Amino acid sequence: MIDVVHLTKRFGDRTVLDDLTLHFDNGEVASVVGPSGGGKSTFLRCLNGLETFDLGSVQIGPDKLEAGGLSHAAIARIRQRVGFVFQQWHLFAHQTALENVIEAPIHVKKVARATAIEKAKALLAKVEMSHREHAYPRELSGGEQQRVAIARALAMEPDALLMDEPTSALDPSRVGDLVALLGRLAKEGLTLVIVTHDYDFARAVCTRSVALESGKVVRDGKPSDVLAETPL
Amino acid sequence: MKRSAATCALALGSIVIGLLAVGSSSCSSEPSGGTLDRIRASGKLRWGGDMQGGEPYVSEDPNRPGKLVGFEVDLAEAIAREMGVRAEFVQNDWSNLVPSLERGTFDIAMNGLEVTKARVGRVLFTRPYYIFQMRLMARHGDARVRPSLRSLRGLRVGTLANSQSWEALQDTGAEVLPYEGVEEPYIDLEVSRTDAVLLDHIIADRYGVPHTKLRVVGDLGEGYYSIAVRRGDDGLRTALDRALEAISKRGALRRILRKHGIDDAAQARLATWSDTDTTRMISERAAAQRAAGGTQADVKKPFTWHHFMLFLQGALVTLVVSTAAMALAIPLGILLALARLYLPRTPFAWIAGAYVEVFRGTPVLLQLYLLYYGLPGLWEGLKLDAWTAAIVGLGLNYAAYEAEIYRGGILAVPKGQLEAAWSLGMSTPLAVRRVILPQAFRIALPGVTNDYIALLKDSSLVSVITVVELTKRMTITAVDVRSWLVPGLLCALLYFSMSYPLSILARKLEARLHGESR
Ligand SMILES: Nc1ncnc2c1ncn2[C@@H]1O[C@H](COP(=O)(O)OP(=O)(O)OP(=O)(O)O)[C@@H](O)[C@H]1O
Ligand SMILES: [Mg+2]
Repeated sequence: MIDVVHLTKRFGDRTVLDDLTLHFDNGEVASVVGPSGGGKSTFLRCLNGLETFDLGSVQIGPDKLEAGGLSHAAIARIRQRVGFVFQQWHLFAHQTALENVIEAPIHVKKVARATAIEKAKALLAKVEMSHREHAYPRELSGGEQQRVAIARALAMEPDALLMDEPTSALDPSRVGDLVALLGRLAKEGLTLVIVTHDYDFARAVCTRSVALESGKVVRDGKPSDVLAETPL
Repeated sequence: MKRSAATCALALGSIVIGLLAVGSSSCSSEPSGGTLDRIRASGKLRWGGDMQGGEPYVSEDPNRPGKLVGFEVDLAEAIAREMGVRAEFVQNDWSNLVPSLERGTFDIAMNGLEVTKARVGRVLFTRPYYIFQMRLMARHGDARVRPSLRSLRGLRVGTLANSQSWEALQDTGAEVLPYEGVEEPYIDLEVSRTDAVLLDHIIADRYGVPHTKLRVVGDLGEGYYSIAVRRGDDGLRTALDRALEAISKRGALRRILRKHGIDDAAQARLATWSDTDTTRMISERAAAQRAAGGTQADVKKPFTWHHFMLFLQGALVTLVVSTAAMALAIPLGILLALARLYLPRTPFAWIAGAYVEVFRGTPVLLQLYLLYYGLPGLWEGLKLDAWTAAIVGLGLNYAAYEAEIYRGGILAVPKGQLEAAWSLGMSTPLAVRRVILPQAFRIALPGVTNDYIALLKDSSLVSVITVVELTKRMTITAVDVRSWLVPGLLCALLYFSMSYPLSILARKLEARLHGESR
């Protein structure tokens, strides 16, 4: 599903991702852990074409992102296949929850408005946000915004979902809800790649953990093994 | 609400006080005899005129910048010499010579001031120093214009605002276009924006005749240039009359006129002109003024319902021009901002950047002039009518300001919004249209509203290209009713009633925006 080969990314003369080669299977639920500044967010952004890179390639389904020249069409297709949930969610501030969810299906996928709304309502129900579909982002709590952001990404019917620090802005008591939600999504076959510092969360959700340090994969395997050897 | 009502009252109050101050100072004139004594004591005769009036009256010597030339310069020196003093020129806008004279900015006004009925009631005139003809010009081949005022009914006729020709054209059924300068009326006539121009023959010969497409149709009556002094300065007027008489009788006056190429047979009458002739000249005009509705020569025309309706019309012109200009400035401003932000290091960005700098960095007045009078000289097809030029000129200028406001608005939208749109597969143009611009608009709205208010007031500049908007209407009426107070107050009130609702709107938007940004 996701094939990363010799991925190298530099900011100026700092190498942030150093010759990474990683493969994620369809339906895999993986966490990416490691010390701050290790390159986790940058790695995730490369998978979505939000960041260009200097060497290597990222293949997602039939489409391939290569160092240097990124074809716009390929990026657009990859982005539709791989959803991204930002640490700060970045819901469109001028739109309600429902409008956020229908925006891309209508304008990118050209889905009919009525169909998009019907689908969006089902997704908001799935993330338990039906009761706030007409609320603006500023009227929602962090956890609620995150749920809407997940629904928004799912509305494009992606095969995989990338999440950056999903628990960092959550009340600890709400983490359980997120675990349950991601569990349901994983059961439906969605591939998940989650950057996190929260080991309990990683253990509860993931079937695999990858530890990144100074841009290199230092450990890769079962969460119980990897997390035990990777200091927080 | 209470607070804003109080602010409103306060603002109006200060406008009233300001205008009262202006009104009262313009009504006050110095005690009689005082001016002449002061001229003698100081040895200086301060005379007011406008260098922009151009040749052959008073203008800057093109060969010696800073030095004045013109027949009135020579005449002022001759008169001063006759009175044993020195002449000192005071620059003043031609259209405000009389109010400035009344306020005491200078002792006498002498700059092609025609002895008109409106002025006769307001200032004292000496014997004339020049006899002119009102000369009618039209385009070759335009047979509609004949040497009579009657032939002008239904035509567009250009002239200087508040000149004798201006007065003569009232109630003729012609559509009269007021100009501030002497070249513009003929440029507009040549490019068919108007059908005829009626002006003093000196102006026609100097500025109209050189246009090869124009012809002199004929002369529609004569008039006089005299020196104006403040009411009550009878002693000064007598002294000036004696000086002028001496200069005329010796032939020195005609020598001056000859030197400047404006002497003709009619000027022979100046040498034999008597005080009785002066009295007749003035009483004829006072009688005309009485016939026009006044009971006494110096009674002000009242401010009537008719004036009020004209003011409302002027306000409507202001509103339409400003709104149309804004409607042009907004989309153009958006395009400029987008080019600068999203097409960096391309010619589009350079052009947009240069556009903003040039239009912000040069006066809008100059831009209006170039657009209206300059472009037709480049190519006939670029001849815009006054309304179009006004709207396009203001719109192009304000687009530069709008561009900067939108650029600021776009930059204020968090970067994450664009990334979120990208991550959903949106292209940059789609993301800008659907996600960035709607948010940037909200941020820009208060600034846009402020610009709109500023534009309402800046739109008064379009009077230089003959659009009679609110301010122009006010100045015309002020001369008509000989008071700046009532027209000024009404004008202020009308501007205020257009801009205040906008400013409330701007504040509401700002408040709402403040509530949105957590
Ligand atoms: N746009 C950028 N320009 C320059 N350097 C950057 C940029 N983005 C990230 N970096 C650097 O790249 C390195 C990796 O950053 P990244 O955000 O991927 O780390 P991270 O593993 O996600 O850390 P954290 O756990 O703190 O979120 C850091 O040293 C960071 O300073
Ligand atoms: Mg990070």
